[in-house]
Amino acid sequence: MEQEKPRLEFYAKHKGSRDITLYVLVLILLLFGLVMLFSTSAYNGWVKFQDSGYYLKKQLFATSIGIAVMTAVSRIDYRVWKRLAPAAYVGSLILSGLVLAVGREYNGSKRWLALGPLSFQPSEFAKLAVILFLAYVVEKQARNMHNFRYLVLVMVLLLPIVGLVGTNNLSTAIIILGIGFVVIFVSSPKYMPFVFMGAAGVGFIAVFLALESYRLERLAIWRNPEAYEKGYQTIQGLYAISSGGLFGKGLGSSMQKLGFVPEAQNDMIFSIICEELGLVGALAVLALFALLIWRFMVIAVHAEDLFGALIASGIMGHIAIQVILNIAVVTNSIPNTGITLPFISYGGTSVVFLLAEMGLALSVSSRTKL
Amino acid sequence: MRKNKTWNRRKILLTFGIVMGLAAALACRLVYLMAVDSGDYAEKAQDLHERERDIKAARGRIIDTKGVVLADNRSVCTVSVIHSQIEEPEAVIAMLTEELGLEEEDVRERVEKVSSIERIKTNVDKEIGDRIRSYEYAGVKVDEDYKRYYPLGDLASTVLGFTGSDNQGIIGLEVKYEEYLQGIPGQILTLTDARGVEIENVAETREEPVDGYDLYISLDANIQEYAQQMAEKVMEQKQADGVSILLMNPQNGEILAMTNVPEFDLNDPFTLHTGEDTFQMDDKTYQDKLNQMWRNRCINDTYEPGSTFKIITASAGLEEKVVSTDDQFFCPGYIVVEDRRIRCHKTTGHGSEDFVHAAMNSCNPVFIEVGLRLGVDNMYKYFQQFGLMEKTGVDLPGEAGTIMHQKENMGQVELATVAFGQSFQITPLQLLTTASSLINGGVRITPHFGVQVCDREGNVVETMEYEEGERILSEETSETVRGILEKVVAEGTGKNAYVEGFHIGGKTATSQTLPRSANKYISSFLGFAPADDPQVAGLIVIYNPQGVYYGGTIAAPVMGEIFANILPYLGIEREITQESQEEM
Repeated sequence: MEQEKPRLEFYAKHKGSRDITLYVLVLILLLFGLVMLFSTSAYNGWVKFQDSGYYLKKQLFATSIGIAVMTAVSRIDYRVWKRLAPAAYVGSLILSGLVLAVGREYNGSKRWLALGPLSFQPSEFAKLAVILFLAYVVEKQARNMHNFRYLVLVMVLLLPIVGLVGTNNLSTAIIILGIGFVVIFVSSPKYMPFVFMGAAGVGFIAVFLALESYRLERLAIWRNPEAYEKGYQTIQGLYAISSGGLFGKGLGSSMQKLGFVPEAQNDMIFSIICEELGLVGALAVLALFALLIWRFMVIAVHAEDLFGALIASGIMGHIAIQVILNIAVVTNSIPNTGITLPFISYGGTSVVFLLAEMGLALSVSSRTKL
Repeated sequence: MRKNKTWNRRKILLTFGIVMGLAAALACRLVYLMAVDSGDYAEKAQDLHERERDIKAARGRIIDTKGVVLADNRSVCTVSVIHSQIEEPEAVIAMLTEELGLEEEDVRERVEKVSSIERIKTNVDKEIGDRIRSYEYAGVKVDEDYKRYYPLGDLASTVLGFTGSDNQGIIGLEVKYEEYLQGIPGQILTLTDARGVEIENVAETREEPVDGYDLYISLDANIQEYAQQMAEKVMEQKQADGVSILLMNPQNGEILAMTNVPEFDLNDPFTLHTGEDTFQMDDKTYQDKLNQMWRNRCINDTYEPGSTFKIITASAGLEEKVVSTDDQFFCPGYIVVEDRRIRCHKTTGHGSEDFVHAAMNSCNPVFIEVGLRLGVDNMYKYFQQFGLMEKTGVDLPGEAGTIMHQKENMGQVELATVAFGQSFQITPLQLLTTASSLINGGVRITPHFGVQVCDREGNVVETMEYEEGERILSEETSETVRGILEKVVAEGTGKNAYVEGFHIGGKTATSQTLPRSANKYISSFLGFAPADDPQVAGLIVIYNPQGVYYGGTIAAPVMGEIFANILPYLGIEREITQESQEEM
């Protein structure tokens, strides 16, 4: 019954009551991201393509698509996706499998599917698919979520996508696992199983690292990046951060982006933000993300139903994990692994799906009384 | 529809709390990195971005006693192209080909090569460099630089020395006075990107270079040039291996000229003056030949001085009073020392003669007799007293030491040969310095070139000081020796050095080089003038002359001619003698 007329009800009751704060925060981040992207990529664009606007143009294009997607998704009742969630998950599995077979390589990683002039990164889609799929599964099994066996079972459902993505993109696999962990954690009344899971996860990572010596090397590089050639990126990031001081060198004045920090517009973009805008700017960016996460929390807490709450929690987990890991990597607080900074790092697929998630969050927010 | 339960909310809040906790930790990490402990990394980053570009300091000049510049700097340019900045490659290629006189193919290859910066040509004349700059083609870079330049070419090449590509002295005075001449290079600090490309519109820090100091030396380019010509002339006439001429002021050790012909071109010191094809040579042979060419035989090589050394034997004998000027001797043409019969150069013998005539005749048996009278101990004592056992301390690198018998190995035969200048070796400069010290009144001098060091404006920075030498001979003996030596030139073996109107003292020598069987000789003449108050002392050494090899015949006249020309130049007037008055 309820499922047959959600759309009508949605429009009738909640038109225009989406979370404006979230919307504004996202727009600020997008704008700031584009400015920083241009600042960091102009040099690289010029060196590689004789076009300082090369990366900005591509990102602008993706962002416009993303905004359209966000707007559309925010106007669609999120419960519609319940039915599509299993298909989305299967779809992400297929795409991730496809990328292994016919993916396009860039910088030694096979992570892209070519669609004519455009390229598409299935792992970005997988994050969104996992959020929807887990919200769907957990909602169905809500009564059983206090049962440890079910918790493990739901986690196991994630393993195929984690495995597929993890073969060539360990960082994204960790993010997907993290998102899954957050969604399941929120859905269950228990605490202890998650302590065990956490411990198991740490153990798993330890074994995983010890299995291959090159992974242990990462730890050694982390401890002393100056002593290793592979610590170059890390050390250059630290140089950039430390050069920033309190107020930075001023927008556009980074030296480190001139080829010292490799591909400064990608994972290491936060180090250039530090260099150009200083500690004040860096903390402001951190604060913007904190506000964003706070909005997801508010939306999740006030969500009308469990499905919406889990979607919002998943999105919160996604953004939080990426921001925290990215900044932790850039500040060399944890070993180096390639994680982009949401909305700011260069990446078209990423921004489109992030904005789709924002659309979802907005959609959830529109059914709450905030 | 499943409700969003209380535990769900609690867990969402807990998750949010953990996330905020981690974010706070990262904020602390940022504060630590950027505000508390940023010094080290920030400095390292700065080092990474800065490129130091040295600005060469102009090397100090070397200037002769009359103010003639012997070593100078010339502005030269280095022309390079920066591939990524070139806009009109064809025009650039055409222009560079024409201006630099290079093959179009070579220029094209370099212009079209994808590299950050490609050098087209170095040591381009400033004029051409300026012209290339005036085309204002994008991507063409003209850098100015200094290059050492020797205006007088091969003049005093072995004395002045030259500099290497890094503008550092390699031989000669250029090495010895490096610290004064080199100056302090300045620096331009510029910022570059990771490829090393300089960033425009960034204020560069500039540290101006301090130019090197000018070195003023006692050498007189006119005298040097004349001596060099004379040396070249006699070398050609006698087909000798080489000729060295040394002229110094015997009163203070200032060297007026020092030439070792053949000299080499200081502006092209890596081309052999023999004109040999160096492409056929292996590196070692080539380097050996270069070293040979760069040798300053006056100080780097030792030789047996032969009869010129009799000045020293005579001084020692007279000072020790084992002989006096009117002691009578008899020369049968040989002398027997222990079991050895040592011949006089005049095999028929000089017969009866006093000591002065023995010197005039350069009679070996008499000087052997004097040596034997002195004995090993005294001979050794005077060697040390006269400074022969030490280096002269000349301000040139690579001075060779004296090669002398060990005292305990010195028997009567060795003593006898030493007395007439054989069986030991000293440098030509050591011989002239010692002889000068004996005839100047008896005070040891330090031969030198360096007089003073001035900055570019001519303000004196440092005046070279040379220790007041020790007295090595009494004034009386010195005067006696001068008198004897004047007679040698006036009436004895040195008469070919006689110049009318001047009192000239001197001594000839003809020594056979080792191995004796090769029949190679070194002819030399040591002279000074005026004989009563010497103002100039000279030594000419002719290595391996062909044909007549007697010092008195081939070396003495050269020195005579030099004296005849340079004494008036030095302000020593010709005395009008009776003969010349009659001629007038």
